[in-house]
Amino acid sequence: MSLVSVLSQVAAVVVALHLLGLATVVGPRGLAAVPRRVRSNLRTVAPTLGVLVVVLAVNGVVRDVGVELSWLIGINITGAIHVLEGRFVVWIQSLASPLLTGYFSAVYVFGYAFLLTFPVVAYLSCDDARPLRTLLVAYAVNYALGLVCYVLFVSYGPRNFMPELVDSLLYTHWPQAQLLTGRVNRNTNVFPSLHTSLSVTVALVAYRYREIYPRWLLPASALSASIVVSTMYLGIHWATDVVAGALLAVLAVAVAEVVADERDPARTGRLGVAGGVRDAFSRLRK
Amino acid sequence: MGESSDEPSARRRTLLRSLAAGSTLASAGCLGRLRAATGWEAAAPVSLEIKSLPADADPYALRVARSAARWFRAAGLEVSVTPLAREPLYRQVLLRNDFDAFVAPLPASAHSGDGLYALLHSRFGSEPGWQNPFGYANLDVDDRLERQRTTDDATRREALAAVQRSVARTQPFSVVGFPDEIRAAGRGRFSGWHRTDFGSPLGYLGLDRPAGSGVALGTSTEPEGTDETTLRLVTTDRRPTGNLNPLAVEFRRTGVLTGLLYDPLGYETGSGDVEPWLAEGWEFVTAGAGPRARVRLRPEAVWHDGEPLTAADVAFTYALLADVTLGRDGERADASSDGDGTAAGGDGSSDGTATSDRSTDRSAGDGASADGATPVTAPRFRGRSSLVSGARAVDRRTVEIDFADCTPSVATRAFTVPVLPEHVWRERSGPASVGGVDVGSATEVLVTNNVPPVGSGPFAFQRNVPGDRLVLERFDEHFLAVDPPAGLPGGVGEFPPFDRIDVAVVGSDDTAVSMVTGGDADVTDTPVGADTIPRIGRARDVDLVVDRSATPYVVGYNTRRPPLTNPRFRNTLGHLIDQAWLAAEVFAGYARPAVSPLAGTGLVPDDLRWDEEDPVTPFIGSNGTVDAEAARSVFREAGYGYEGETLVERG
Repeated sequence: MSLVSVLSQVAAVVVALHLLGLATVVGPRGLAAVPRRVRSNLRTVAPTLGVLVVVLAVNGVVRDVGVELSWLIGINITGAIHVLEGRFVVWIQSLASPLLTGYFSAVYVFGYAFLLTFPVVAYLSCDDARPLRTLLVAYAVNYALGLVCYVLFVSYGPRNFMPELVDSLLYTHWPQAQLLTGRVNRNTNVFPSLHTSLSVTVALVAYRYREIYPRWLLPASALSASIVVSTMYLGIHWATDVVAGALLAVLAVAVAEVVADERDPARTGRLGVAGGVRDAFSRLRK
Repeated sequence: MGESSDEPSARRRTLLRSLAAGSTLASAGCLGRLRAATGWEAAAPVSLEIKSLPADADPYALRVARSAARWFRAAGLEVSVTPLAREPLYRQVLLRNDFDAFVAPLPASAHSGDGLYALLHSRFGSEPGWQNPFGYANLDVDDRLERQRTTDDATRREALAAVQRSVARTQPFSVVGFPDEIRAAGRGRFSGWHRTDFGSPLGYLGLDRPAGSGVALGTSTEPEGTDETTLRLVTTDRRPTGNLNPLAVEFRRTGVLTGLLYDPLGYETGSGDVEPWLAEGWEFVTAGAGPRARVRLRPEAVWHDGEPLTAADVAFTYALLADVTLGRDGERADASSDGDGTAAGGDGSSDGTATSDRSTDRSAGDGASADGATPVTAPRFRGRSSLVSGARAVDRRTVEIDFADCTPSVATRAFTVPVLPEHVWRERSGPASVGGVDVGSATEVLVTNNVPPVGSGPFAFQRNVPGDRLVLERFDEHFLAVDPPAGLPGGVGEFPPFDRIDVAVVGSDDTAVSMVTGGDADVTDTPVGADTIPRIGRARDVDLVVDRSATPYVVGYNTRRPPLTNPRFRNTLGHLIDQAWLAAEVFAGYARPAVSPLAGTGLVPDDLRWDEEDPVTPFIGSNGTVDAEAARSVFREAGYGYEGETLVERG
């Protein structure tokens, strides 16, 4: 089956990138201590990991029901988004070239899979459990809020709304990719862009903990930015979805910071959520 | 409509302002002036929402909708376009009539003379389904639609010509054109694609093995360990993987898949005649108001669950189509005990007769039944079921069907509805409930997803994964498999050369085509957009199959909502749709612009033939650009005004 071949391609590329990442980002010295750290980190973040697994499982089950539900109660905002931003995506696609299309398609599928999984592995191998917990909580918040938005808003992307102006570049150049993306997304779920929010989340967390993996910050930011652009370049998302996705990422990371701090045995003083969010923002800025 | 929400508040504000002014001046004269002034409502902009299908679901509909929106805007209307998936679109348009305008293809059943009866007769204006979703009401059209049912030849043609002229002028919908249906079909495993009618279940049944490759078929691409052959369809329509109810209009496209599951008495052939299928034959006698047919079923017919298929099932089907509640009020208990009797009674011809006779008598009035309860008609096959006034099982294989006033050739259309098993559907005539709560007037008949279905067709349900997959398998007890009779319609000679039909759902036309070119599917079941043609043409061993569609794209209007209630307003909208430009640009030349929904049937009068431009509502402008000044003057002549560039009407 084609889906199997697409999946194995993605798996092969992502594994290769992981090995490269481990060698360069974590480095040989870091890797030596990995088994001990992984065990201890896993113990520490087990509850958080549990929450994420539950959110993902609910997401998997509810996604189909959610689409049905959103046709009942959701607001169709496709037209409103189009009025809001007009032809921005058309302009982005006016820069298209075969080389760029190849790059952004690869980034959208392979790069995204790598960007989301690699920091989990990397932070699992570091001395401190906080980055991993922050990341996992942020993922959970992204998925949870994303799912709520998908129920509340029905929206089609530019490739579906103005096919005469916006090409569905990913699926015309690599139609089999849709066998995979179709499993993960439904075409009515474009607001906000989870590709954007999760990529930006990874970049923000990479920045926040840049002292642990200084070499991860640059590739994470570059890949994240590429994925953000690719969602629009490929005609899948509106700029509005991307902005909403970025805001969702900032919120998710801020919440994750608070949770990570509250759970951190090293910190005793409890801040409360509002103070925590403010604190998190100030730390992000610094 | 869009303006309705803010309009009252604006009015209220105006009124309050006048009241404030009134109180300061507080004199009888001023109150008089105020009273005289309140009759004059402020003019409100005319706004319109066009609902349509996104590009993933339909390659053309949304582009047509957006083009129409552009032209309407040029004439000063406020227009928005809303993309909706297939099922929500048809639920909103056909079941709830919640729309201003929509762009979609008409159903194939409308593409015949009598097909217009259901599409446009005002008696169907409040019924859900493809029967007059526009709410169109024109007494002259009604008369002529009735006349074409009772007359033949020249008189009937003249009646239908008059209907088409009225419709072209009053525009309950604007015909855009008949698209070419484009498909990719693999050459290696099956042949006969180019003569396949993809709009009928007979199409797939007529496929052949390619010459000289019979042995190699079951080798590489089949699942291991079997020598069975699978016909692998790929579709962009996910609805049949979760719902196989032949009466659920919002889930059906052509009805081909449910048609493979449920046999009709007869199939309509290319010539427009109906030829026997599940029936062995029929004969007409004239009795009373309309004709009466005695239909003889084929021997030994059985349902997929092993129950015998009898004349009582046929009579029951017509009763159910006429009233899905089967006269719910009052006689529920009787009905269910009858159902048990029929299902259990192996010899139960008398049982069956009594049952169906009673239920059909009730439907015969077709409007108000004896006990005063309003029948709820099935939303599909309405035009055809409205031809039938009653049906009785005479014996196990013979059913007698009485028709309303019509000619036998029109009456045979009623034989093309799917026959449903009484032992499964009778108990579904009760009110539908969600989590134990009854919802509205819907019965279980209309709400059930009917999975797994029990039919009598050549293929039986095997398994489904909603949103992903549907697998049908050969039904060994079907007459095609047991002893294929000669002279079947559609050139079907024997059981088709496959034992299983595997329907896979993908997200878009591009992916569907790549499944066929990559050898993972045999044919794209749903037609694909013209922009995939290069991909199909480049592939080896893949045929490009192009057929003229019987279903024109239309811009349909909800004539229940002002200003669309006004035929002159709709006529002007018709002038704002450039069919020639759409055919060339949106359909990339793979469509034929048309005026009448019957184009291609041979029933279109000469003065309604497309001739370089629309002879009735020619485009105001040229080459896809509206002449805004001319369009405005037409609207002004129609009694509408402008504020700035915005078209307004008085509330």
